[in-house]
Amino acid sequence: MSDVATPVLLEAREVTVRFGGLVAVDSVSTAFRAGELVGIIGPNGAGKTTFFNAISGVTEPTSGRLLAAGRDLTGAGPHRFAGRGLARTFQTPRVFTDLSVQANIEFGLKFAGRRRRKWIFWGDEVGVPWALRDAAGILRLVGLSEQAALRAGDVTPSQQRLLEIGMALSTRPRVLLLDEVAAGLTEAEVVAMARLIRRLRDELDLTVVWIEHAVKILLRHVERVIVLHQGRKIADGPPREVVRDPQVIEAYLGDEMSEDETVETPDASPTGGRA
Amino acid sequence: MNDRQLLTRDLLVLFGLTGWGLSLPYLGSEFMVSMGLTCLMYVALSSSWGLFCGSTRYLSLATSAFFGIGAYTCAMQLEQLGWVATIALGAAVAAGVAIVMGAAVLHLRGTYFAVLTFGMTELIRHAVTYYEKSVTGTVGRVLAVVPERDTIYLTVLLLAVLTVGLSMWVRRTRLGLALMGIGADEQRAQTLGVNTRWVKLAGFAMTAAVAGAVGAAMSVRWTYIDPHTVFNPFIGFQTVLIALIGGAMTLWGPLIAAIVFSLLAETLRLQAPQVYMMSLGLLLILCVLYLPGGLASLRWDTWKLWRDDTRAWWKEKKREWTGEKAREKKRSREQRLV
Repeated sequence: MSDVATPVLLEAREVTVRFGGLVAVDSVSTAFRAGELVGIIGPNGAGKTTFFNAISGVTEPTSGRLLAAGRDLTGAGPHRFAGRGLARTFQTPRVFTDLSVQANIEFGLKFAGRRRRKWIFWGDEVGVPWALRDAAGILRLVGLSEQAALRAGDVTPSQQRLLEIGMALSTRPRVLLLDEVAAGLTEAEVVAMARLIRRLRDELDLTVVWIEHAVKILLRHVERVIVLHQGRKIADGPPREVVRDPQVIEAYLGDEMSEDETVETPDASPTGGRA
Repeated sequence: MNDRQLLTRDLLVLFGLTGWGLSLPYLGSEFMVSMGLTCLMYVALSSSWGLFCGSTRYLSLATSAFFGIGAYTCAMQLEQLGWVATIALGAAVAAGVAIVMGAAVLHLRGTYFAVLTFGMTELIRHAVTYYEKSVTGTVGRVLAVVPERDTIYLTVLLLAVLTVGLSMWVRRTRLGLALMGIGADEQRAQTLGVNTRWVKLAGFAMTAAVAGAVGAAMSVRWTYIDPHTVFNPFIGFQTVLIALIGGAMTLWGPLIAAIVFSLLAETLRLQAPQVYMMSLGLLLILCVLYLPGGLASLRWDTWKLWRDDTRAWWKEKKREWTGEKAREKKRSREQRLV
């Protein structure tokens, strides 16, 4: 786990989201530190996306608090979260289909991404990473330079996925929340996506929180994993410890982890503690 | 064309149209000036409607409320304040009402927003009627001192030009981009840092200010106003129809449609008032079905596309009617059996 000295960029304190009688997220507390690469997994309906919506301001939590870099943002609109350096992607890419790929990136640069520059003079915020300096830089980073002039509605779905990440980066974030970015991609595209995510963390020093339904690919790349089950957090720790957790195994029995997918972590046996 | 060339083109077109508008009172007859006045009124109203409602897709039916508020402000204050100040006041009062109204209803979308804005228009109309009856003790107001015909015309022309100019300018600013983003995907725009609440309020107030100013300028044309005339929901509906038929998302669409409409209205209304309303409805249906981008999206290619479509359809029908299609089907079935 990260050492205690690195600052906490996003903290959730007993976040609960209720839809009528249904408790989608049940009192989840966690903190994301600078430079972490965290995965969130859980079976279908575990509340992963709802939790994401709560920590990005899209859904207001029923109770609990959200702190971004120590500032309380509970109940604030999504634009405030974006302004405090929290960027997110959506599960199905939500790009502005009528604008060009480049204009999609420029949109974020003109709003949440713009604030950053102003704050440099106050010494309040860190400078903008060189790779995020302009639309061309971001497009190069996500590998869409050649599609810059195309209409965003006309590029392939996997390119839209990359554009979605580029749009999140255009807000010049410190925390990047990725919602199932590898779903529906081919084997080769998934590998490229994982490489991109690692690069974002390693080179741009971003904190990345990554939800994925396909557990295998996620566990191979993250250093810490949070497991949600029926809205509650049942495990939080390094992948190789988490896969041995009896509660996690219980939650995943009958799900893909115990059937067709073997869990591969660098030094844990494939089927963990199932034996 | 790049951005700069487009701006130059738009400015030139606006300049040219302004010139024509300016020359009308000197060249045209009384009838033409009156027609031009109606036309300019709808140019301003529907351009400003398109600026907010077109780009954000928040369908507001409150135009007549702002128009009426402007007209009443003028009726009450013209004698004390003078012409220019009255119009500015009309715009300001309408914008203020829009901010209060918007704060209450702008978080709703779609039909709810449309119905509520219409409901609020009716509320304002009845409130004004009640106030006039119980406090001032009259039904309508007579505007005794009115400016000359040319002054009214030039004011409305100026308002129309300013509105189109405003529309051009806003499209190039962050506000315009934010409005567009709200129309495309409001939540996505929010997560990219747009404070949608303020942007919507600003856009709505802008639309209302134009409608208020136009209402103030047009009220003197009637010399006698009552709530029924100036809060007429028809003004609001017609504004929406013109913007939709012309293409609410576009800069020139509302203007083109406003010209088409005033020509239609003035020529048909006298001879056959029903035909006017019918053609209005028909045009709307045709635009929604075949031209979702409005009249402004008509290009030479659109005609060609329609022509080719019709030809293909005709060819297919001809094959069917001559029995060619049936023969072909039979032939292919026989081939399969062999």
